[in-house]
Amino acid sequence: MKKWLTLSVLLLGAGVVSSALAGQANNSLVIGTSQEPPNINDPWRTNNLVIATEITWYMEAHLIGKDDNGELYPEIATRVPSLANGDYKIVKDAKGNVIRNSVTFSIRKDAKWSDGTAITPKDFQFWLKVEQDERVPVPAREPWDKAKITLQDADTFTITFDPPYLFADQLTSAVGLNPAPSAAMEKAWSAFDAATKNLDPKTGAKQITDEWNKFIAQFTTSRGLPKVVSGPFKPTAWRAGNSLVLTRNPNYWLTPKGGADKYIQSVQYRFIADTNTLKVNILSGQLDALSYVGLSFDQAIEAQRSERGKYKTYFVPGATWEHVDIANVGARAQSLGLNDKRVRQALMYSIDRAALVKALFEGKQPVSNTWVSPISKLYQKNAKDYNFDAAKAKALFAAAGWKPGSDGILAKDGKKMSLNFTTTAGNKLRERVQQILQAQWKAVGVDINIQNFPSTVVFSGDFAPRSAEGKWDLFMYAWSNDPSVERGDLWASQFIPSKDNAYAGQNYPNFKDADYDKIWNDAKTEFDLSARVKLFDKMQSIWTDEVPSLPLYFRANPYTKVPGLVNYTYTAYSLYPSWNAAQMGWASRGAVETFTQK
Amino acid sequence: MLNYALRRILQMIPLLLVISLVIFTLTALQPGDPVDQLVLGNSQITPDDIARLRAAYGLDQPIPLRYWFWLTHAVQGDFGWSRTFSAPAASYVFQERLPNTLLLTLPALILSTLIAVPLGIFSAVRQYSFLDYLLTFFSFVSFSAPIFWIGAMALWLFAIYLPQITNGVISLPPGGLGSPDLAPDAGFWAALTDKLRYLILPLSILMLREIAVILRFLRASMLEVLNQDFVRTARAKGLSSRKVLYRHALRNAVLPIVTLLGLSIPGLFGGAVLTETVFSWPGMGRVIVEALTSKDFNVVMVALTFISVLTVVFQLLTDLAYAAIDPRIRYS
Repeated sequence: MKKWLTLSVLLLGAGVVSSALAGQANNSLVIGTSQEPPNINDPWRTNNLVIATEITWYMEAHLIGKDDNGELYPEIATRVPSLANGDYKIVKDAKGNVIRNSVTFSIRKDAKWSDGTAITPKDFQFWLKVEQDERVPVPAREPWDKAKITLQDADTFTITFDPPYLFADQLTSAVGLNPAPSAAMEKAWSAFDAATKNLDPKTGAKQITDEWNKFIAQFTTSRGLPKVVSGPFKPTAWRAGNSLVLTRNPNYWLTPKGGADKYIQSVQYRFIADTNTLKVNILSGQLDALSYVGLSFDQAIEAQRSERGKYKTYFVPGATWEHVDIANVGARAQSLGLNDKRVRQALMYSIDRAALVKALFEGKQPVSNTWVSPISKLYQKNAKDYNFDAAKAKALFAAAGWKPGSDGILAKDGKKMSLNFTTTAGNKLRERVQQILQAQWKAVGVDINIQNFPSTVVFSGDFAPRSAEGKWDLFMYAWSNDPSVERGDLWASQFIPSKDNAYAGQNYPNFKDADYDKIWNDAKTEFDLSARVKLFDKMQSIWTDEVPSLPLYFRANPYTKVPGLVNYTYTAYSLYPSWNAAQMGWASRGAVETFTQK
Repeated sequence: MLNYALRRILQMIPLLLVISLVIFTLTALQPGDPVDQLVLGNSQITPDDIARLRAAYGLDQPIPLRYWFWLTHAVQGDFGWSRTFSAPAASYVFQERLPNTLLLTLPALILSTLIAVPLGIFSAVRQYSFLDYLLTFFSFVSFSAPIFWIGAMALWLFAIYLPQITNGVISLPPGGLGSPDLAPDAGFWAALTDKLRYLILPLSILMLREIAVILRFLRASMLEVLNQDFVRTARAKGLSSRKVLYRHALRNAVLPIVTLLGLSIPGLFGGAVLTETVFSWPGMGRVIVEALTSKDFNVVMVALTFISVLTVVFQLLTDLAYAAIDPRIRYS
């Protein structure tokens, strides 16, 4: 027994540590996240993951960036292009239609890669050449598939879009155009080129992709860390499944107030897949801050209750839109009256969204009336607001021929209003929202049959795009989009998934409205923001009247950070805290606060 | 015996082929594919893009053709690329994740056996004693309490509560593989101490269930053997109780434990998933879950095929071990 006691004491002894955080003591930052990216600093974003982009922004500079207020600022470029300064140009035909647009960037003389070599237009030409290469598996090619770079001089180049690109005046990282270190990648790219140039892009697609993976893995993975970077931090160690360490890049040119030595010198990402364990890490003081990809909302609410001054929890209004899609077409939708807008409006009036967000989210997530984020300039401020009104809902159901039966459930021609309501199984918050909506609809005579499946099932090609086949009647999930590049594509009939297009579109409710389509087409080529605002106003009026989906709320993204950590902020404009990596720091070490979390 | 072993090894080949086919088919039949995840939330992706990406990942081919492609490459040692981990699937699983699992599961199995065997013997010999009741209670608690709950409680106790009340004197890290800020030149002892700190909790939690399983099996097996005639005869012959217990009873009682351990080893590689998840331990269990969630077929195939191989190999070793332990068993 004595031996066991001794061993136990020894083991515990090994665990004796100081609980003091490294953070402020050595001017470092420890961030926790629940997801690990497959790769980082991939200029072509072939994995498309939020966490990959967030981490990449620590080590990637951009021609221009977007701050918390949505204001553009130059980083690699000397200034932000605009019509006023002549760097942004629009070419119109005789009818006044924009046929081409272009943006000119001049690179700062002091913009350097981390190895000290200058960032030049060649790096952007290399990026575009690879982006346009048919062999490279980039998720979406638009608008780069037809873009062209023309050199003006050694530091200046022009990107031309023909056909024109609607958002050419705000070419931030969110729409692509990332610098790629051509000198560092040239040799490996030539090897990829040689290995695949004789392969048919169609029949040899898989072999080409394998070769591409081998190429990009040399520069972006835990086994092949990025060789040179352009951003304020460079990666120094990545232990797969555990942590990633980034250290300050001395060759980064934008110096924060008071000098870079007063700001964070190293950043550690800790990958903790289980969010409960992530929460324990916050409570035990192991983390200075949470990533954008961290706790769920309800876990953050719990974490907020345990703050005790050790950290603060923030809920950042975002552009992730929670909603319930309604199956608008198909035999089943028709038999349930879902193809009748009066029924869809009645479903909208039957639910009390204000009470829902108050009960579940302490009012931290704002009710949405349209799919456009309230922070977007395109948001219709006076959008039709379907405030809860049971009487109006009942009247609309009655007008559409749905009357309560003996059991209180609405019925028409012998058919009961019994709807299959699906969301992602295991998402506790959504399941709670679903139960509240079920109860609210029951009060007006709508029977809800909950049929949840794992997210891998509902977001597969066999489920979400098949509302017309009666796979679901109501489907609750979220869309996330950068509000500054909103195009209204979700509701264009062109994107209705069908057998003919291999269920590729994302207009899951199968919403089809000729007026909407026409205005959407006009908005796609309307380069004047004030005119586009008017078109979006009309699009939102049509949408809110037709109610193809039930807007619920815009999700607020929670995170925590300890007191004294400054400039670790973001909004739906800047997207991730890493947008401002160069200025993150500890107030106690002399870092000056320039952005406060809103 | 040699013939028997060779025959069994040859039988493994078609068995493993069937297993790999079943795993491949079931994985490929899952709803959704890797491209669905790229599509989600990216409204810029066009139908042409989706078709292009499906072709690029070989997902436009029929399942039998995809399996044949995988198999013909796998027998040459090429298990494909992992999209989730951006590395060759086999080397990622075997070099990045397998060592972590070995570090966790092998000590867990060895220590559990070393602790559980004497406790099991003790529990059987002193049946219905206070300590027997105590060990029975411990076993039932270990069996019935979910690992994620015990793990969460252990995290709370050692990472939050005890550090608070002892002002950080007693404190264990709340998950992970080691300190990210440990200097590469920290030295052997510093690295070992750091690793031990991170290992203590997941190892202890994994051991809890293993100890309970082995203890209960051995206790039951010993009780059965202790009541048999040959044990009574051995006692009647005047052999010391130590000889009776260890040379006669234990040797016969240990056979089910050999089977149990033989099957535990492959099971531990995939079955440690909850422990690995709760304690953020990047091992084989977690890799299977992560790969399945992200439809990373190549990693799923590598990991599950490896566990299948382990299972059949350890079954064979278990059978062969029988002969060594029990001379009555002959495979000729």
